[in-house]
Amino acid sequence: MLKRLFLILGVEALLLVVLAVIPLTVNNSFVLGLLTLLAIYGILLIGLDITVGYLGQVNLAQAAFLGLGAYTAALTVTRFGFGMPAALIAAAAVGCLFGGALSFPALRLEGPQFALSTLSFMALTTTALNEWESLTGGAQGLQVPRPPLFGVMLGPKGFYWLCLILLVFVWIAMRNLLSSQWGRAFEALRDSPIATDAMGIGTLRNKAAAFTLGSGLGGLAGGLYAFNFQYLQPQVFVYDLMVILLLGVVLGGRKSLWGAFVGATIVVLLPNLLSSRILFQAFSGLGFLLALTAGIRGFVTKTTRPFQAVAPVVAMGMLVVGGIFTSNTEDWRKAIFALMLFAVMVGLPEGLMGFAASFLTRLFRIPPPELPEPVPLDEVLVKKVTDGGPLLELLDLKHYFGGVRAVDGVTLTISSGAIHGLIGPNGSGKSTLVNVISGLYAPTSGGILLHGKPLAKGSLFKVAQRGLSRTFQNLQLFSELSALDNVMVAMKGIYRSPLPLVLLGLTRKNERRAQIDALTLLKMVGLMDDCRVPAKDLPYGAQRFLEIARALARRPDLLILDEPAAGLAQPDITRLLQIIRRIHDRGITIILIEHHMDVVSELCNIVTVLDHGKIIAEGEPGEVKRHPKVIEAYLGGTVEPAGQQYIEQGNIVPVPA
Amino acid sequence: MNDSVVAQMVVSGALMGLVYALIAYGFQLTYATSKSINFGQGELVMVSAFICLSLTNLGLPYPVMVPLGLFCGSLLGLFVERSGVRLALEQKSEGWILLTIIIGLLFFSVSENIWGRDDRPFPTPIPSDAIQLFGISVTPVEISVAVGVFMIMGIIELFKRKTLLGKAFEAVSADRDAAELMGISATKTIMLSYSLSGMVAALAGILVAPITTVGPTMASALVLKAFSVAVVAGLDSGFGVVVIGLFLGALESLTSYYVGSGWREAPGLVLLILALAIRPTGVFGAAVIRKV
Amino acid sequence: MRRALIMTLLLGMVVTQAFAADVIKIAITGPFTGGSAPMGASMRDGAKLAIAEINAAGGIKVGAKMMKFEVTERDDEAKNERGALIAQELASMTDLSGIIGSVNTGVVLAGDKHLQEKGITKIITPAAGSASLTQWSKAGVKDLSIFRFAAHDGIQAAMVVEEAVKRNLLKVALFHDSTNYGVSGRDDMLDQIKKQGNKLEIVATEKFNIGDKDMTAQLLRAKNAGAQAILIWGIGPELAAIANGMAKIGIKAPLIGGWPLSMSNFLDNAGKNGNGTMMPQTFIEEPITPKAKAFIDGYHKTYKVTRIPSPVSAAQGYDAVYIFAAAVKQAQSTDTHKIKEALEDLKEPVKGVIATWQKPYSKWDPANFDTHEAFRRDQAVMGMVKDGHVVFANDADRQRLIKSATAVKGKKAK
Repeated sequence: MLKRLFLILGVEALLLVVLAVIPLTVNNSFVLGLLTLLAIYGILLIGLDITVGYLGQVNLAQAAFLGLGAYTAALTVTRFGFGMPAALIAAAAVGCLFGGALSFPALRLEGPQFALSTLSFMALTTTALNEWESLTGGAQGLQVPRPPLFGVMLGPKGFYWLCLILLVFVWIAMRNLLSSQWGRAFEALRDSPIATDAMGIGTLRNKAAAFTLGSGLGGLAGGLYAFNFQYLQPQVFVYDLMVILLLGVVLGGRKSLWGAFVGATIVVLLPNLLSSRILFQAFSGLGFLLALTAGIRGFVTKTTRPFQAVAPVVAMGMLVVGGIFTSNTEDWRKAIFALMLFAVMVGLPEGLMGFAASFLTRLFRIPPPELPEPVPLDEVLVKKVTDGGPLLELLDLKHYFGGVRAVDGVTLTISSGAIHGLIGPNGSGKSTLVNVISGLYAPTSGGILLHGKPLAKGSLFKVAQRGLSRTFQNLQLFSELSALDNVMVAMKGIYRSPLPLVLLGLTRKNERRAQIDALTLLKMVGLMDDCRVPAKDLPYGAQRFLEIARALARRPDLLILDEPAAGLAQPDITRLLQIIRRIHDRGITIILIEHHMDVVSELCNIVTVLDHGKIIAEGEPGEVKRHPKVIEAYLGGTVEPAGQQYIEQGNIVPVPA
Repeated sequence: MNDSVVAQMVVSGALMGLVYALIAYGFQLTYATSKSINFGQGELVMVSAFICLSLTNLGLPYPVMVPLGLFCGSLLGLFVERSGVRLALEQKSEGWILLTIIIGLLFFSVSENIWGRDDRPFPTPIPSDAIQLFGISVTPVEISVAVGVFMIMGIIELFKRKTLLGKAFEAVSADRDAAELMGISATKTIMLSYSLSGMVAALAGILVAPITTVGPTMASALVLKAFSVAVVAGLDSGFGVVVIGLFLGALESLTSYYVGSGWREAPGLVLLILALAIRPTGVFGAAVIRKV
Repeated sequence: MRRALIMTLLLGMVVTQAFAADVIKIAITGPFTGGSAPMGASMRDGAKLAIAEINAAGGIKVGAKMMKFEVTERDDEAKNERGALIAQELASMTDLSGIIGSVNTGVVLAGDKHLQEKGITKIITPAAGSASLTQWSKAGVKDLSIFRFAAHDGIQAAMVVEEAVKRNLLKVALFHDSTNYGVSGRDDMLDQIKKQGNKLEIVATEKFNIGDKDMTAQLLRAKNAGAQAILIWGIGPELAAIANGMAKIGIKAPLIGGWPLSMSNFLDNAGKNGNGTMMPQTFIEEPITPKAKAFIDGYHKTYKVTRIPSPVSAAQGYDAVYIFAAAVKQAQSTDTHKIKEALEDLKEPVKGVIATWQKPYSKWDPANFDTHEAFRRDQAVMGMVKDGHVVFANDADRQRLIKSATAVKGKKAK
């Protein structure tokens, strides 16, 4: 623990000291200019990393927020005569404001669509800045004097220190935020928006928050940018700049403050350093040797694909050879930049910091942070009293996909305290029914009551807020989060603290409690020892159990298990049965969708059978199995003794069409 | 305001819109099979146009130069696939976005140094003197773009529907895993789609170059518009790009005239954000049912 | 591996050491890649041609030593941010004698303050935006180390407006691109129209973006408004798109505008549609004098091209180097401050490819920025496009130029 703290914080403190002291020892305006820009881009890229790294979306609007922030700061000073603090606050606020506004249309979008909507926003911003000549000076630009800070005129050194101090503040605040419930929620959103809603975390407010925050940092960086260059033009904040920023974030390493900083270093320093032929040759020679050793190592240990081993060597080799034959490297600057980026991108897909972090962790054997001890389950899942009254009521529920009647008039009551089985052949509408109840689909018609009150239709989030939790037939884990984080992010209770407190790092106590509770749930499903493993690296069975633990973190009244035994081996099924019984013990009502008849017979007090979207039978498991309509539905024929026997053996299989 | 002026602008804008559509079609081809697009498509258009210019300067006649140019385009497409896309797809990462941008940057810099930084005219046997059609001035070069767009799209769509290879293409587009189970190699199909996309880019280069001139930056403005057209139309909708392209081109022209030339792009951009907010999969894109 | 790195670095140091002595360090900056590269690269190549000639002749005699030029190139990519960083870098070089370059006025505005702070001599060429020097007039600086070697937009706009008035084309449409260059050109033209007595009626003001290919809408507005001439400020490819668009919708009015209308990317791409276009010129790529012939041939041979992408930029880069060299010779020093003082008072005329320069600069006076401008109204002439070439638009100009050339000769003979 101490070693970890010492190493990580120590390195950060050391870097900060070095950065702060450089201007005192080196009296060179170029170095100072580069460092100032580095600090500004550090803030900008940390903001961009929130959307690109944590939300996992290609955000092409950050350059626009930089521009908006810069112009806001400039106009606050030139038009309204405010000082620097007001200008910087205004710049950040405008970034937040526009970011928040843009996040609404962009909220529903992902992938290329999200990228395009942000790209359009950027183009619109540039057009507006360019056309609104009376305010912004248009294409001819805007001269911005650097105002005094609290009465002190800042020289280049002073301004650099101001940028550095702001970078440190942003760094600390972002670390607090991203290691909190908010940060986990952002990542959850990236991995599975559906589960994010179904776990009551909410895609909407998190996406809006992430985007607003990232844009705000863009605005702040813009304010500093304006006072640094003291001359603004709209054409600066365009696609070209944005591409460079994106490259910076990805090459530096996503989801990492260090990565953003390293990215800023690449973006700021590399193009300027490459101008010097000697440095260029040093870089390309060094890069070639690095790529060669890494490539050979990858080949020998077979840890990398051949392409991944060879391509960086070829790229760097081209640089070395090309460097000898071209007389003017300045003409080839972009190609040089591209080849270097290509080599890093292919050789180190996790980015420079992603690579360095795993390398250093191994080298210094940095232990992961310690975890608290779990508590008795009773403290986490307080036993609920069940009265056997109706908990969930479905009234003539219908859901059509075009002409397909997937759910066709289901009326059903789930009593509190029951384990209610829901079975039916493939395509009988079970999953659709569950999806309608849990809010993924809005029903075509009909009513859903929980605790006698109507349930919101077509909103996973609102349904989850009412105390209904579920697992998914096709797993919807937050695949890059650890098992522990998967449960923590869904934890319901007092764990989400107000944003300002989170930014200041005053919420450690809540974090600790969430950790304890999550570990307790993991222990119940037998995943304590794997709690640090990313969900995607867990074995299949463990992933199913993790989903159950995550669903329980919602402390639900009603838990829907959608085919929890699918694909499980026999020992895991036995474990599953135990787990479900323990959950039932806590007074949680369960709807169990299952193909394994023996699981259903073992657990359920009551079973409902669906076929073609309609209920064809309901009753105790033993009773239902003998129901002629059920046998017909499953086997497609009339009652035959052999068929009945087949079902009793617990092997209900879909009928061949 | 008389109708002929409006008609003239709609036609001129719409013909430009077809250029967007043609480049956008190149995005769609690769998106269908691999869910990835080449962000350096503009550079592909540019490099192909330069290669065709060099071929012409070697003395090759137009009918020989065109197929050779298309062939070079498809080779370039394959290069992009091999160096920038395949690895990322294998790793199921989105690295292709940046890798294709980086390769585009490389193409740009190399062309600047090989062919120079200047814009140059592109010789074409198609005359560029305006002719009057129903009182509207159009140049045969512009008409050739329209003809080319419909021809290449028609041929590729026919190819997809009528040939075995084309059906494999459709199968991978519809369901990659299922297609692989049926013994269709997804990797080869993706290669095919990238080479087709490169070919479309080369054709765009050949057709557009007489209008835009050939230079390193010839396609950088066009390609962003094409990207908009592809996404708004829906990345899986074949002919949707034509409709959206025509619409966007005409809208830009009309905005320029009525609102002011500086605001030319603004209404298109606003409409675009709104269209996406209302129909995230594109106007002509298939609505996706979320399944869990 | 480590050894290789150390070796490389050591080697690098040795190499720098070897060059550090007895050279005149000069930096050339400008956009050498991207959209503005035709101008930036032509300027650079023209300047380097002059430097190669000087170096081949043994260099410049400073004190007892013959010193050669050593060039540092910096590509600013037409980006203000890069421009500012490069200016900071150059400003922090202790042994730099001077800088030549800059194409984009925005880059000048972002970067030059760092140079002026350290008093580093810079000759701006071919950036023509008026603000490059007026910013110092406005700030009222007493001592300026920035000079310009280009016909600034104020001169050019005045000539464009004069030409329209002279030809009795009184209803004009103003076209300009949406960059700094285009917008400040528009403002200069508006200014000049007012100054020259508001004889022109502006019937339309239209804008276009870099990369736009379809100009129909803007042109139709101009046509419907009955424009008799189109006054235009922009650069090559878009200018050609306008000329072609005019032919398409049948506008017969002439194009009159800034010097980029003479760039080969306009002449080639507009083809016969460019005929009749007029623009102010400082240099025409035609071997009309032996000096011009030597320069043009030298450029073609050295850079293996058959035409100069931007002849004006190349010629200005070339002459700027000779003027700078003359200042070094007169100052007998590589110290940038002394070179500045020499530039402000050049005793000997400098024979350039554009003209023979007599005292191009004088002591900076904030009230009169012409003190640091080399070009005057009469050094520029109106050119006209004729079948892919630029020729004199007015015969009077030709006569005047010939007269002034002989006058200079006469003076020298005395």
